[in-house]
Amino acid sequence: MSLLRRPRLPLAMALILLAAAGGGLAFNLLMPQGVGWLPEAVARPLWRPLELARAVRLRQQGALMVDARDPGHYKAAHLRGAVNLSPRERELLWPLLEPQLRRAPAVVVYGRYRSRWPAAEIAQFLCRQGLRRVYVLQATLEQCRAAGLPLRRRRPRRQGS
Amino acid sequence: MKRLSRFITLGARLFLAGVFLYASYDKVWNPAAFASAVAAYDLLPLWAVNPASVLLAWLELVVGLLLLAGVWVRPAAAWAALLLVMFMGLLVYAGLTGAGYDCGCFPGQEGGHAAGFGAALRDLGFLLPALWLLWRGESAPARRRP
Repeated sequence: MSLLRRPRLPLAMALILLAAAGGGLAFNLLMPQGVGWLPEAVARPLWRPLELARAVRLRQQGALMVDARDPGHYKAAHLRGAVNLSPRERELLWPLLEPQLRRAPAVVVYGRYRSRWPAAEIAQFLCRQGLRRVYVLQATLEQCRAAGLPLRRRRPRRQGS
Repeated sequence: MKRLSRFITLGARLFLAGVFLYASYDKVWNPAAFASAVAAYDLLPLWAVNPASVLLAWLELVVGLLLLAGVWVRPAAAWAALLLVMFMGLLVYAGLTGAGYDCGCFPGQEGGHAAGFGAALRDLGFLLPALWLLWRGESAPARRRP
């Protein structure tokens, strides 16, 4: 009983951590808004992964490239011809890009950070909107450039003008 | 003097409990939104974002409840101090990188509270009551006069 009333500090801190972990686990298992171990777009993907070589072929056949990264990164460098549709601006840009995306024979989404995979999120969204051939590119921008996909980089600003 | 100390302890405990409960309820109830806020810092690998954000939200909730109830005050204050130091580190990092995203600290702050030095300074203010409680949190109750 006295241990419960005044436990040693490290032990009590460990118990608090355990209580938080237990509560979090139970809540996320039982409640409908609970999250899984991985984001839904990654754990239960509706899109298909795409190798770089196939992406090059698809692009030649008219596939539309979608850059799912934040606008700042898109402006700094992106694949030539790619449109920017990031999760943050999805609601705003989807109505504008929808006709172009629906017309495309296939859509190849790319973009990844350490903690986020916006490409997976956007591809999942596009699949839910009824687009059929939606792929997520499994390559970095540098790998794309090395494979012959042209990159468009932001030009450095001229000084003094 | 002792009465003043107890008064400060009570104030610090209730204030910190309020801060942690207010900060945690939305994170606990909307775990996906908080996971997005955690992911925005881009420090954890993808597989760690959801578990870490859930644990963080619940840790804040448990700490807030314990402080409110006055149970295990020193361990709860120790967690509060640890969390606040960690948050300050993250906010300073965000300030240095010039990220400009929402700090994800409290609910209903869309666009108004960017992660950065200002938010780190605010957390430094929250750290003071946590350190006080860590120091004086569970001092022995005063002896009753015969």
